[in-house]
Amino acid sequence: MAYLTLSGISKQFGDTVVVEDFNLDIEKGEFVSFLGPSGCGKTTTLRMVAGFEIPTSGKIILGGNDITDQAPNQRNVGMIFQAYALFPNMTVSQNIGFGLSIRKEPEVAIKERVQEMVSLIGLEKHANKYPYQLSGGQQQRVALARALANRPQVLLLDEPLSALDAKIRVSLRAEIRAIQKRLGITAIFVTHDQEEALSISDRIVIMNEGRAEQVGTPFEIYNFPKTQFAANFVGSLNNAGAEVIDPANGILSMDGVHFKTADTEMANRRRGDKIRISIRPERFSFAVEPLKDNVVDCTIENITFLGSVVRIQVKIGTTKFNMDTFNNPFLELPAVGAKEKVMCSKEAVLVLESA
Amino acid sequence: MNDNLGNWNEDLVRELASKQARDSKKPQDNKRSLKGFPVWSWVWYLLGALYFILPLYATFTFSLEMKRDTLSFLAYEKAFADKEFWHTFGYSNLVALLTILVSALLSIPTAYWIRLRLPQARRIVEFITLLPFVVPAIILVFGLIRIYSSSFNIPFTDIALIPPLTNFRAGTTVLLVAGYTVLALPYMYRSVDTGMRTIDVATLTEAAQSLGADWKTIMLRVIFPNLRSALLSGALLTFAIVVGEVTIASFLGVPAFGPYLFLLGQHRAYEPAALSFTSFLLTWMAMGLIQLVTGGQGQTTGAH
Repeated sequence: MAYLTLSGISKQFGDTVVVEDFNLDIEKGEFVSFLGPSGCGKTTTLRMVAGFEIPTSGKIILGGNDITDQAPNQRNVGMIFQAYALFPNMTVSQNIGFGLSIRKEPEVAIKERVQEMVSLIGLEKHANKYPYQLSGGQQQRVALARALANRPQVLLLDEPLSALDAKIRVSLRAEIRAIQKRLGITAIFVTHDQEEALSISDRIVIMNEGRAEQVGTPFEIYNFPKTQFAANFVGSLNNAGAEVIDPANGILSMDGVHFKTADTEMANRRRGDKIRISIRPERFSFAVEPLKDNVVDCTIENITFLGSVVRIQVKIGTTKFNMDTFNNPFLELPAVGAKEKVMCSKEAVLVLESA
Repeated sequence: MNDNLGNWNEDLVRELASKQARDSKKPQDNKRSLKGFPVWSWVWYLLGALYFILPLYATFTFSLEMKRDTLSFLAYEKAFADKEFWHTFGYSNLVALLTILVSALLSIPTAYWIRLRLPQARRIVEFITLLPFVVPAIILVFGLIRIYSSSFNIPFTDIALIPPLTNFRAGTTVLLVAGYTVLALPYMYRSVDTGMRTIDVATLTEAAQSLGADWKTIMLRVIFPNLRSALLSGALLTFAIVVGEVTIASFLGVPAFGPYLFLLGQHRAYEPAALSFTSFLLTWMAMGLIQLVTGGQGQTTGAH
């Protein structure tokens, strides 16, 4: 049995269904992200684990105990908020020691644990400062230490990096991940930022309209998205309508241009079925030997320089596709309007749903 | 192609010209800002200040003229020597403290609950707290007297549950505190509510809960300490209102400072001026205290 189990969780506010039949098993020490657009129910699900919301139906089991109806202060969970939520009237040390002092732990033990936590987050010099004397990144690190000081069974992070600026966000997320790994703590991380989720997680739950669309490792989510939504939300994607030509060999036609796909469901389709195909921009490349499964004619429409990547818009048949290629100083870019050949493997052609 | 180049050149020339114009304007701008001393702003500011200071100054000098042809603090000596002054002033202070306590105990849980659980009730409660501005104190006191001057019996019996409160001092004091609590609501409730907004009580409560705190701990260790400055400003405003209030106090017939000052003003010339000026000083000290305490808190909220 998994360490933390969410089974058949639903949550309704009045007539609005916010979370619907959400199922997830999380193993001990795992770092799981809930990724989705705002209003997809990811924060509500997290808050149900924390105990701030009670599910309309379903069960939450943590470490073998049913905690579904337990009050937040009876659960042993640590929570980190987007707005830091440090107690303004307490110093860094007092903030970190707050949970321990509530448990009436001996003074000496608290002091020791606080010291340990302060050095874990590298704020030894600031232990006696008040929150308003710290930067946002420092405040969030204190919040992390405060949540961890109680040795919670699970750490819940509700968009903890969203209020910080870009550089701090990247460094703090690496720090959070390193600390989580070192302590072997189970964590759930809510974010709407796909890059954050991809870089930090063991597994990602893609959420949309209160449902889990797909659960998988970052690698699986990015390379083998199961639904149109998951594919579009993570990374960028070219979408086009197509028609099945030869189900047995995975051949389909897009505006008369034939493509081959490795999609396993193709065998179950029939000739003439309308489907939608998706191809990630970086899976295209200009046709050079050895040739891949799909080599097609195209016209260069537009070239955008993005720094490390050059995005080239090509027209295949009547459909425009984006194609990404790594930048290097010796890159010979074609002229706009030029006729070229591009290629991609059959695995790159995803069939996500019927049209 | 030529046309395009021509346009491009024109654009460039225009841009350069406008840049030059901007550059050449800069020193002029500097001069103007030196010359542009905000004369009128200062005129209005000084006029406003005079409006407040002149009567105060007049009161002060008048209070010093009790002895003929010389300036003295005789009026102050006489005023402070009056036993009645100390008696009423003491009583009003006591009532003020009670009022602060009651209104704080009423406002804090209400504001907290509305922020956390009942945001839809906010408008109604805010309207209620503003009622003292709409309903005059005289109406309030007549209502209190009308209802509490007869005893409240258990229905169908002669057993008095509440005796007529207007008949004894403790009873009138209860009524007085109740009335003043209503008058203090706009100030107390609003400062508490604003205080709660600046510290984001909802999230702080959740943070404390997830760390294992129960309601009592959250209130005592998180909410109250962070509302200190808000409570202080609410308390000082309440104090200022209660100590100077005349209407309710005189109709309830209590020995309060407001009615005493009023009576004194009808019979004496110099002492009321002395006392007025003293109470002004007290109020200003209170204001200064608020500034001092909230000054530190302002930094806290600024960093959020």
